[in-house]
Amino acid sequence: MAAQALAVAASHDGYSAIAFPFFGAERRGAPVLAFTRFGEERLRVRTQVYEPHFVVVLDESLVETVDVLAGLRPGGMVIVNTTRAPDRLVLSKKAKSATVDATTIALKHTKQAAVNTAMLGAFAKATGLITLEGVEAGIMEVFGRRLSKEIADRNVAAARAAYEATRLGEGDSGRVYAKATKWLPTAQELPPGLATPPMETPFGRVGVGSSPSNLTGGWRVNKPVLDGAECTNCLLCWFYCPDGSITRGEKIVEIHYEYCKGCGICAAVCAPKAIHMEREIEEEVKA
Amino acid sequence: MIEMKPAVKLPTTGERRMVTGDYAAAWGAMVSRPQVVAAYPITPQTMIIEHLAEFLAAGKFDAEMMRVESEHSAMSAVIAAEATGVRAYTATSSQGLALMHEPLFVSPPMHLPIVMSVVNRTVASPLGIWVEHNDTMPQRDTGWMQIYVEDGQEALDMVLQGYKVAEQPLVELPMMIGMDAFLVSHTIESVDLISQEDADAFLPPYKPVHAYLDPQRPMVVGAAAPPEYIQEVRWETDLRMRRAAEFLEETDREFGRKFGRTYGGMIETYRLEDADVALMTLGTVTSTAREVVDRLRAQGERVGLIKLRSFRPFPAERLQDATAHLKAFGVYDRAVSYGVGGPSYIEARNALYDTTTMPILSFLAGLGGRDVTPQDVELMFKKTLAAAGRGRRASGVHWIGTRGVSP
Ligand code: SF4
Ligand code: SF4
Repeated sequence: MAAQALAVAASHDGYSAIAFPFFGAERRGAPVLAFTRFGEERLRVRTQVYEPHFVVVLDESLVETVDVLAGLRPGGMVIVNTTRAPDRLVLSKKAKSATVDATTIALKHTKQAAVNTAMLGAFAKATGLITLEGVEAGIMEVFGRRLSKEIADRNVAAARAAYEATRLGEGDSGRVYAKATKWLPTAQELPPGLATPPMETPFGRVGVGSSPSNLTGGWRVNKPVLDGAECTNCLLCWFYCPDGSITRGEKIVEIHYEYCKGCGICAAVCAPKAIHMEREIEEEVKA
Repeated sequence: MIEMKPAVKLPTTGERRMVTGDYAAAWGAMVSRPQVVAAYPITPQTMIIEHLAEFLAAGKFDAEMMRVESEHSAMSAVIAAEATGVRAYTATSSQGLALMHEPLFVSPPMHLPIVMSVVNRTVASPLGIWVEHNDTMPQRDTGWMQIYVEDGQEALDMVLQGYKVAEQPLVELPMMIGMDAFLVSHTIESVDLISQEDADAFLPPYKPVHAYLDPQRPMVVGAAAPPEYIQEVRWETDLRMRRAAEFLEETDREFGRKFGRTYGGMIETYRLEDADVALMTLGTVTSTAREVVDRLRAQGERVGLIKLRSFRPFPAERLQDATAHLKAFGVYDRAVSYGVGGPSYIEARNALYDTTTMPILSFLAGLGGRDVTPQDVELMFKKTLAAAGRGRRASGVHWIGTRGVSP
């Protein structure tokens, strides 16, 4: 919804604008791409954006696996939700950077870890292309109409706070990514009908049994913490975890953080309250 | 660092807002005042029906909204509603349309002018939620008119235009309006939301003139018929499809006079007059192709564009006139008729057989929702330019951007 609200903001400020999402896995917290174009007299190209002027990263954990600067135009800027200072960002190349701890701001103002509106405030501050009033109009249109005035107000407060808190600087190069990260077979290499047996590819396992190689723990904001002394091994959490991230043990269960997405269901169903949720903050890199 | 230009002013008669294509379609349906809406949710169509429900809850919209258990039932319900003489609307996508396939055949011979928005989405297998036209194109022979739109505004405007054409007493055929999944349905852009008063002035209340159920005037509709009768029904349905062409053109002109924007009728041409070669596109690829035409023109290439809006009726005569001066013609499709080529390529070749011997090329790209980039479109133009003047033998089917396959 951030891309949409940004387009509304740009439109409010007098630009033609267009935005659309590209859905991946349809799950909350799953990585998604969304694109916004604005500032041409009349926008016509209706494709994904491959060479952005700005890249906005809502979840810092993504930079570990995705080269977010891959298509960035010379002179472009990356805006990241992180507790780091912009000069402490290490990505694939040197680039103008802006950072803001949008998660903390969002939690404070909206009581949720949905950072998209805070990041709009950061975008306005970092780029100077969109006014804060535009951002407010965008939030009112996209969130106010759909949800409620009260929710929109809280999001506007988050955007304002992020606007104030955004820091500008220059990130460093040095992070190295695998050249290709996705298995893209030719028509001839493709298993017929995409009926895929277990297969090893240069980019990892595909087909049956490939799920364990997809580490999805990075989607998490809060993590469940188990107090082994309280666990009665009733297995309710094991049963309810929608991601199979909990395994059974002799005396107590075990939570696998490589896969846990932090939904909190295990904590909610645990009668003796052996599981509680904790905010997880990426450690500052000590340079 | 970035050159920012203010937006061009677009004609606005109602309220201009940033909305999704699904919202725009729902708005178009609302101001068309259907009395019955029956639909079943499917991504990426769901928001259309959700927005209509919102309008209803807000008291802006007055219709019977039927929750049904499947798309087959949704179509059956709107057919039954239309058969009582009221205006009906539905929307679907992909597998949902496939499930409607059987009742789709019912309404054209029965003179039931339903309008349906279809968010074009891949039909399994493999299962996909992204744009492909292989849901609507196979419905070609059901007797429904079939339109493809480029953006949210057109998705809205065509619902209004659609009823106007469909309800013409000389037409009385249903219409499906295809809009690309996500690239229209979920794309937010500036749309003129036509006011109810303006819509009412353009589209009068539906007055069924022939087949409808009324206790005061009993009649049998949808009866079984032996061979002595059906062939004439087929001929008469075919006649109405042929007649619809003229009404599509006229209704678009009338719409233009009222709202300040037209779409060219069944086809729109772009920089075609002095072009040597042209590409025909449909759906959102058209927007990207306009940009590519401008770029190639700037490099001195004489290229033009035809936007195919109406697939049924197929604009054979208009295409013949529009392409008479060309040396080669490329046809882009987002669906494939296995073993032959793109469906609109097949239609174009058929339509132009009598009037030209130029090469006509089929381009397949963007299947399963793969992005069709300006580079892809440029390649289509380059291939068409290379075929110019080489006669029919230079025709062929080209898979653009397919790994392991040379285009
Ligand atoms: S629900 Fe609580 S008590 Fe039961 S197994 Fe899980 S952690 Fe242990
Ligand atoms: S928070 Fe608990 S229930 Fe949710 S994914 Fe993690 S382990 Fe599973």
